[in-house]
Amino acid sequence: MILFTLILLPFTYLMLSLLITNTQVKKLLALIFATVNLAWVVMVLVRVSTEEMLVVNMGSWPAPYGITLAADRFSAFMLVIAAFVFLLVSYYSSQSIDRERRNNGHFFYSFGILMGVNGSFIAGDIFNLYVWFEVMLISSFILMGLGGERKQLEGSIKYLILNLIGSMFFLAGIGLLYGKVGTLNMADIASRISLAGDNFAALNPALILIVVGFSIKGALFPFFFWLPASYHTPPPAVTALFAGLLTKVGIYSLIRIFTLFLFHDYAFWSNVVFWMGGLSMVVGVIAASAQMELRKILAFHIISQSGYMAIALGFFTEAGIAAAIFFTAHNMLSKTNAFLVAGWVHRERGTLNLKILGDMFQRSPLWGVLFFISAFSLAGLPPLSGFFGKFMVLKAGVESRHILISMVALFVGLITLFSMVKIWLEVFWKLPPSEKVRTMTYKVKPSGRMLAASTIMACAIIAMGLFANSIGNYCTLAARDLLNPQKYISYVLENK
Amino acid sequence: MEYLIAIFIGLLYGCGVFLVLRRSLVKVILGIFLLSNATNLIIFLSGGITRGGTPIIEEGAEAADIATISDPIPQALILTAIVIGLGMSAYILALKYRYFDVTGTHDLDQLKNTDQK
Repeated sequence: MILFTLILLPFTYLMLSLLITNTQVKKLLALIFATVNLAWVVMVLVRVSTEEMLVVNMGSWPAPYGITLAADRFSAFMLVIAAFVFLLVSYYSSQSIDRERRNNGHFFYSFGILMGVNGSFIAGDIFNLYVWFEVMLISSFILMGLGGERKQLEGSIKYLILNLIGSMFFLAGIGLLYGKVGTLNMADIASRISLAGDNFAALNPALILIVVGFSIKGALFPFFFWLPASYHTPPPAVTALFAGLLTKVGIYSLIRIFTLFLFHDYAFWSNVVFWMGGLSMVVGVIAASAQMELRKILAFHIISQSGYMAIALGFFTEAGIAAAIFFTAHNMLSKTNAFLVAGWVHRERGTLNLKILGDMFQRSPLWGVLFFISAFSLAGLPPLSGFFGKFMVLKAGVESRHILISMVALFVGLITLFSMVKIWLEVFWKLPPSEKVRTMTYKVKPSGRMLAASTIMACAIIAMGLFANSIGNYCTLAARDLLNPQKYISYVLENK
Repeated sequence: MEYLIAIFIGLLYGCGVFLVLRRSLVKVILGIFLLSNATNLIIFLSGGITRGGTPIIEEGAEAADIATISDPIPQALILTAIVIGLGMSAYILALKYRYFDVTGTHDLDQLKNTDQK
C-alpha cells in the first residue's frame, strides 16, 4: 500500500482537478499534493532504510505473474530527490507560468509527469516500466506543446517523433526479451539469466534494443538530438521540470538493467557504456561551448553530464555505482536550479540570447548568487554538491584503473567551467551591448515565489555538498544492494 | 507462418523508416504508425505463434496441455501497446493540425527556425 500511494496521490490530483474549475484552488491543491508526495516518499525512504526493500504485488498475484512494485535504497533516494524537485518547480511555476497556461492544465500535465516518474522508479516489471515511461512521455508531449506558440510547436514535433521512435526500440526489445526468457518480471528475468550461464549472448539483440531506448530517453550520445532541438522552446519552468526529471529516469533505468542483466556480459556492455558516456561528455560540452542561447548551453550540458553518470556506472565497482547515484541526484538539483534562474532572466528581459543580455547582476544580486551556486556546482567547484559528485566519479575511475576515461572526465569539467563562466560574464556581468538596450526600461514583474523556490534549491545544493559524506555513505549502501542482484531477486520472488 | 510474419515485419519496418525519412510531416507521421504496428507484431511473433485454444484450464483438469493453448501474455501486451499507440496517434495528428494552422506548411525543412543559425 505504501508504494501504491505514490501512484494514487498524483492520480487523485488528476481526478480532482478535472472536477474543480477554479484555477486558484487547483494551484493550491497542486502545491498541497506535491508536499504530501514529498512527505510520503521521505516515509518510503525511512521504511526502506530499516527494512532494506519494499515489495508490493498488485492485486495479490504472486511475484512472477502479477505486477510487482519494488523500492530499494536506490529507488527511494531517486524518489525523494524527484519529489523535492517537483515540489519546488511547482511552487516556482505557480508564479512564472502565465494564467492562460495554468487555466489550460499546466499542473494537470505536470502531475501526469510526476505519476510517470514515481511509477518508473518503483516498477518491478519491465513492461510496466514501459507503461510508466509512456505516461510520463504523453504528459511531457502535451506540456511541451501547451500554449501553441510557433517555436513550441516546432520543438514539440521534434521531441515527439524522436521520443516515439525511442519508445518503439524499447517496446521491440521487451518483445524479443519476452520471447527468449518467457517472463517480464525484472527479478525473474535476472534470476533466469543468471541460471542460463554462458548463453547470455543470445539475449544481446533484445537488450541492445532496450539500451538504445533508454539512451534515447537519457540523452546519451549518439541519441541525444531531440534534447537540444526542443528544450529551449517551452516556458522555462517546464524546461526546468523536464531537465530535473525526464532524462534522469532514462539513466535510472539504465543503471537498473545494467546491475540486473547487463553485467553478465560485462566485457561487452562496459565498452558500450564507456563509449556512449565518454562521447556524450565530450560532444555535449563542446557543442555547448559554441551556443549563444542560455537554455541551449544548459541543454547541451545535460547531455554531457548524463555521460558522467554512464561512465560511473561502467566502472561497476561499489564506489563507481555510488558515484553514479550521487551524481544523478546532484545533477537533478543543480541543473533544475540553473534553469530556474534562466526562467527569471527570461521573465525580466524576454530573451535568453547572450548577445543581447547583460548586467543582470546589477538588477538583482541575489539571483546572480543563485546562478553562481548552481552553475559552479555543475562545473564542480569545492564546497558545492558537484565537486563531490565529480570527485567520487574520478576516484572510482582511478581506483578501478580506468585512467583514460577519468582524464577525459577531468578535461570535460574544465570546459564546463568555461561555459559557466561565459554565461556568468555575458548574462550577469558585462554591460548591455548597445545604448538602446541599456536605457530601455522594463516592466517590473513580481518574482517572489520564484525567488523562494530557487533559494531553497540552492540551499539544497549547498547542503548536499556539506553533508556529502553521509549522503555518499547512503549511496554506497544503495550501490552495495545494486551489486548484489541476488538480494533484489530474493526479495521480489520469495517476498522475504 | 513465422517466416512469413517475420518478412512482413521487416517490410513494415522498411516502409516505416522510408516514410520517416521523407520531408513531408504527414508522411513522417504515417511512418511512425507503420513502425508502431511493426513493433506490435514483433511482440506477437516473439511469444511464439501456435494455432491453439484459449489458455484456460478445463474444469477438473490438473494442468493445461501447453501444446494446445496459445500464450496470452503477448496478446495482453499488444493490447496495451495498441491503446497507448492510439493515444499517441490522436495527439500527434492534433499537433500536426495545429502546426499546419499556425505555419501553413508541412515541410519538415521549414522546421529550423528554432535551430542554431
